[in-house]
Amino acid sequence: MSGAPRIDMRAIHKIYPDGTVALRGVDFRLQPGEIVALLGENGAGKTTLMKILSGLLRPTRGEILVDDRPVQFRNPADALRAGIGMVHQAFTLVPPFTALQNVVLGQEDGHPLGPMRAEAARRRVTALLAETGLSVPLDLSTESLPIGVQQRVEILKTLYRGTSVLILDEPTSALTLTEVHDLFRFLRGLAARGRAIVFISHKLKEVLEISDRVVVLRGGQLTGAVPTAQATPELLAELMVGRKVVPQVSRSAKPAGQPVLVVRHLRVTNDQGTAVVKDLSLQVREGEIVGIAGVEGNGQSELVQALTGLRPAQDGETVLSGAVVRHLHPLEFYRRGVGHIPEDKARFGLALNFDLTENAILSRQRERAFVTRWGRFDWGAIAAYARQLVERFKVVALGLRAPVRSLSGGNQQRLLVGRELSKQPVLIVAVHPTRGLDIASTVYIRELLVRMRDEGKGVLLVSADLDEILELSDRIAVMYEGAFIGAGRADEFTREEIGLMMGGIIPKGRDASTLALPPAAD
Amino acid sequence: MRARWHFPRPLIELTATILAGLAAGALLILVFGHNPLLAYRALFIGAFGSLQDVLETLAFATPLMLTALTFSVGVRAGLFNIGAEGQMYVGAIGAIAVAGMVRLPAGLHLAAATAAGMLAGGLWAVVPALLKVSRGVHEVISTIMTNWIAFYLSTYLALNFLTGARGDSTRPALPTARYPVLTEDATLTAVIFVAVAFCLVVYLYLWGTRAGYELRLAGENPEAARYAGVNAGGVMVMSFVIGGLAAGLGGASQIIGRPPAWALYATLGNVVTLGFDGIGVALVGRNHPIGGVLAAFLFGALAHGGRLMEYQAGVPSELVRALNGLIVITLAVPELWTLLRRRLAP
Amino acid sequence: MSPARRRLRNYLLLGTAVALFAYALQRLGLGPISLLEAGLLAMTPLALAAVGECLNEKAGVVNIGMEGIFMISAVTGVWTAEAFNSGVMGLLGGAAIGAAVGLALGAISVYGRADQIIAGMGLNIFALGFIPFLLISLWAFPGIHLFPNELMVPRLFTPLGQISPVTVGAVAVAILAHFLLHRTVLGFRIKAVGERPEAVDVAGLRVDRLRLLTSTLGGALAGIGGAFLPLGWFGALVKEISAGRGFIALACVVFAGLEPMLALGAALLFGFADGFASAVAVTPGVKERIPFYFVSMIPYATTLVVVALVIGQRRFPRTVGRPYARE
Repeated sequence: MSGAPRIDMRAIHKIYPDGTVALRGVDFRLQPGEIVALLGENGAGKTTLMKILSGLLRPTRGEILVDDRPVQFRNPADALRAGIGMVHQAFTLVPPFTALQNVVLGQEDGHPLGPMRAEAARRRVTALLAETGLSVPLDLSTESLPIGVQQRVEILKTLYRGTSVLILDEPTSALTLTEVHDLFRFLRGLAARGRAIVFISHKLKEVLEISDRVVVLRGGQLTGAVPTAQATPELLAELMVGRKVVPQVSRSAKPAGQPVLVVRHLRVTNDQGTAVVKDLSLQVREGEIVGIAGVEGNGQSELVQALTGLRPAQDGETVLSGAVVRHLHPLEFYRRGVGHIPEDKARFGLALNFDLTENAILSRQRERAFVTRWGRFDWGAIAAYARQLVERFKVVALGLRAPVRSLSGGNQQRLLVGRELSKQPVLIVAVHPTRGLDIASTVYIRELLVRMRDEGKGVLLVSADLDEILELSDRIAVMYEGAFIGAGRADEFTREEIGLMMGGIIPKGRDASTLALPPAAD
Repeated sequence: MRARWHFPRPLIELTATILAGLAAGALLILVFGHNPLLAYRALFIGAFGSLQDVLETLAFATPLMLTALTFSVGVRAGLFNIGAEGQMYVGAIGAIAVAGMVRLPAGLHLAAATAAGMLAGGLWAVVPALLKVSRGVHEVISTIMTNWIAFYLSTYLALNFLTGARGDSTRPALPTARYPVLTEDATLTAVIFVAVAFCLVVYLYLWGTRAGYELRLAGENPEAARYAGVNAGGVMVMSFVIGGLAAGLGGASQIIGRPPAWALYATLGNVVTLGFDGIGVALVGRNHPIGGVLAAFLFGALAHGGRLMEYQAGVPSELVRALNGLIVITLAVPELWTLLRRRLAP
Repeated sequence: MSPARRRLRNYLLLGTAVALFAYALQRLGLGPISLLEAGLLAMTPLALAAVGECLNEKAGVVNIGMEGIFMISAVTGVWTAEAFNSGVMGLLGGAAIGAAVGLALGAISVYGRADQIIAGMGLNIFALGFIPFLLISLWAFPGIHLFPNELMVPRLFTPLGQISPVTVGAVAVAILAHFLLHRTVLGFRIKAVGERPEAVDVAGLRVDRLRLLTSTLGGALAGIGGAFLPLGWFGALVKEISAGRGFIALACVVFAGLEPMLALGAALLFGFADGFASAVAVTPGVKERIPFYFVSMIPYATTLVVVALVIGQRRFPRTVGRPYARE
C-alpha cells in the first residue's frame, strides 16, 4: 500500500527507425492518488507514450523523472522497480498457465534451478486479493477464463509486483457494462489508497466518468490537459480531433423492403466442437441496417463465418434472397450477392504484401470478367477495375503497384469495403468495420454503409462498439452466449438497457416476452 | 536535368548479404592455411575466364535453376519443400529408363525421356504433399525421409535394372535421346533451353493465371486465402507437383543433357546435393522463377570456378558448397544490412 | 475418435508392429541380444539431440540444423580424440563445438530475427560442404578416416550385452530434462517463453537469455550425439556419417510433442529400426535374401510411417519458430 511516486515526463519524442514520428515533444505529469485519462483517437500516440513510461520502449528524446530523479528504463523490469506497471490492451498472459502461475512468473521463489514452489506466493496473492477487493480464480487456466476475468488477472499481475502507478490501455473494450462499473469502482478504491492510475481511452463518456484530469493527444502531440470538472464533450472532442463535435452520420427514415437474409434456428459449433451459436433466428431486409451488439466472444465470429461460407452450420437454415443456401463455399456466397467486410482486415481480407490490383480481386479472382477461358488473368480488365475502385472510394496510395502494407489502416479498409461493394451485393456483412481507424475514415465508412442502405441493400452490422451500433442501426439485436437476448427497433431501447443486455442481464421491466425478436418469415 | 541512378535497396541488401557470406568463407579458408585472395581469384577466373568457361558455368547452372524452382514454388505456397534431392534422383532414373532401355524415333525419344524424368519427379513429390494435406505431417520431415528412400531406391534400380557395361553407372542414354551439345568445348547442351523455358512457364503461371494467384495468396496469407475461396489442399499439392516436375527435369538434365557420361553414376554422384544447393539459389533469387535463373548462373559460376580453385589454390572444391550454406544462413536474417549498418555506423 | 480410443488404437498398432518384428527376427535368425545392442547404440545420438531440441522448441526456437551439428561434431570429436588421445575428450570436443554452433544459431535467431528454418537448413548445407573439406584438410583423405580403436569410448559389459556409458548418459539426460522442464523454476520460464514471450518480457525476464540457453544446451547435446557416432558406435569417420539422423531426431521431437521422456521413447523406437537395418545388413543368410538398399530404407520409412500416424494430436507452443520483437 505504498503511495505512488510523482511522475514527470518532459518533451518526449519517439521516432521509429523507419522514420515514423509517433510522439512529438509530449509532456505528461502524474500525482499520487489521481486518475488521469489519456485521451486521443486511434494512432494519436497514447499507447506509445505509456509504453515508454512502462519501460517497453525507449524515447528518442526527452526525459522521465520519478520523484524528481531522472530515470532511464531499459526494459519493463526497470520500470517495475520504480513502481510503474502497465496492463496492455492485448493481454500478456501465458494461455495454458493458471492465474497464479501467470502472476508468479518472473517472481518465483527460489533459485532458477530449484523446484517450483508456490505456497508462499499463493498466500501473498490471496492477501492482495483481499486487500484490493479484486476477485480472481487462481487455479484455472487463463485461456478458459472470460475476457473480463483475464483482465483482472493482468491487473493482479501488476499489483503483485508492488506497482503504485497503474497504466491501463483501453481497458473497457472487451467488457460488459457491469464489468466496466466494477472496474471503475475498483480503480477509485486504488486511487483512494494512494496509487496513481493512467487510463488510456478513446471513449469520451468513460473518460468523463472516471478521471480526475484529462490529457489529450493528437497526431503525437499534446493538444491539451484539463481537470475533468472543467471538461465538456465538445471541448474534448475539439482537442481530440480538431472539431467541436465528433461527426454523426445522418439517417433518413425509409421503409424496409423484402427480406434478403433469413436465418432460422441456426446452430454453429466452434473448432473445439462447442456450440457457440444456439438456435439463432434473424432477418435482414432490403433497405435496413440490422446491428448485432455484443461483447466479442459471444458467437458473433462464428455466426458471421456461417453466413459467409467459412464455417458449416450444424443445424438451421439460411435463406438468401428467397433461395435456401446449402453450399459451403465463400465464393458461392459472394456469387449470391453477399459482401463480407471481415473482422480483421489485415488478417482475413487483404494480403498485405500484394499490391493494390491483386488485393482488388481478392475473393473475385474467379469471376468471368477477370479470367479468360484457360485460367489466364486479363490484367487489362483487372487494372481498369482497380483504378475505378481507387477513384471511387478515394483510396490514397502511391500507385496501383504499391503493396497494400504501405497504405494507412483507413485506406486499406476503404479498398476492402470498395471491393466488397463493387460485387454489387444485396447483403453486406460488416464486422467491426471501423475498428482502429482514424476518425475521417471511420465517418466515411459509416456513411458508405448508410448509403448502401438507402440504395436498398441489406446490411448486417456486427460491432462491439455500442455507439456505432446505435448510430447506424435501424434494428438492433443483442447477442449473448450464442443467442439473442433481446432485439427490436433501435429507438425502442436505451443505451443503458443495451449495455446491460450485452452483459447478459435482461433489464427490469423487460422480460423475454416483451422483447420482440426479429420476425422470422414462415 | 541530371539523371539519378540509384540501385533498388533490395539489390544492395542482397549483394551485401552475399558478400558477408563470402567474407565468412574467406575466413574459413584462412583458418585452414590457404590464401583466400588466391582462392577467390581462381574461383572467378575458373568461372568466367574464357568463353568455354562461361558456357560450362551455364551447364552447371542448368540443374540449379530447376531445383531452386522446387524450393521457390514451395515457399510461395507457404511450404518448405526440401525434397528436390529425392525428386531429382527418381527424375534421373525415369529419364535413363526411357532413354537407355527403350527405342523410339529421334525427336519422340528425347521428348519421352524428358517427360519421364519430369513425371517421375512429380509423382515422387506427391507423397509428402498428400501426407501434409491429409495428416498434417510437416514437410521438412517427410521430404527428407523421402529423399533418403529415393536415394536407396534409385541406387538399387541403377545397379540392378539399368546397369551399364562397367557396373559403376547405368547404361548410357541412346543417341536418339540425347540433347544436342551446343559446343565442343563445354558440356552445355540444349537442355538449358528447356530448363529456362520451364522456369518461364512457371513464372507465367504464378503471376498470370488464377491458379497461380491462388497459390501465392495461400502462401502469403492463408486466412485471406480461405476468405477468397482458395482450396488450401489443392494449392499445396499443386506446388509440390510443380516442384517435383522441376526437380525431375533437373535430374533428367544431368543424364540426357550432360556429356560425356550420358548416364547416372551408381553412387548418384552426378545428381547428389544439387537439390540442397538449389535452396541457396532460390533464396538469392528471392524465390522468383526468373530470379532463380539469374542466381543459378552465380552459383553455377561458384561450382565451376571451384574446380580451378582447387587446382590452383589447393582449396578443396567442396568449400563452394560450404559457402552456399553460409550464404543461406546470412540470407535467413531479414534485415542483416540494416542491422550491420546500425552497428557499424554510430 | 476420442483421445482415449485413439491412444488405445496407437498402442494396439505399436504392439502389433512389435510382435511382427519379433516374428521376423525369429525367422531371420537374428539374435535379440545383438539387436538390443545395435538398437541402443542407434538410440543414443537420436535421444541426445531430440531431448535438447525438445527444450529448445519448448522455448519457441526451432533448430533443424541438428544434422549439420551431427556432422560437424563428428569430425571435431575425432580430431579432439586424436589430439588428446582419449575418446571421452572427443565427446567433450563434440559437445563444445555443438554448443558453439547452437549458440550462434540461437543468436542469429534471437538478435537477428532470422527465419529459423532457413538458417537451420543453411547450416545443414554448410556442413554438407564443410565436412568433406575438413576431411581433406585434416587428414588428406576425402571419403573415410580411420582412427585407432583405443580412441573409442569404452563399453560396459553387462549380462545383457555391451552397452555404452553414453547410452546410459542419454537416458539420464532425458530424465533430468523432464525434471528441469516440469519441476524447476527455469523449466517454468522456458515453457512460458515458448507460449507467450511478451508475458515473459513484461515480467522482467530476459527472453533472449532463455532462448540462447536452450539453443546452446540443445547444440551441446547434439554435439555429444554427433561425436558419439564415430567414437562410440561406427569406429570410423565417413562423410555421410550422419545419413539423415539429425532429421530423424527432429521426427522424434515431433512425435514426442516436445516431451523429453517421450522423445527418449521415440529415439528408442527409431533406434531399433536403425539397429534392425544394420543387423540385417550384416547377418549372413539374411543379407543375401533382402537387398541391402531396401534394408537401408527401413529407418526412414519407419520414421515416415510413425510420424504420419501420430501427428495431428500434438500441441506445440504458440511461438515455435517465430522471432520475438518488442517494438
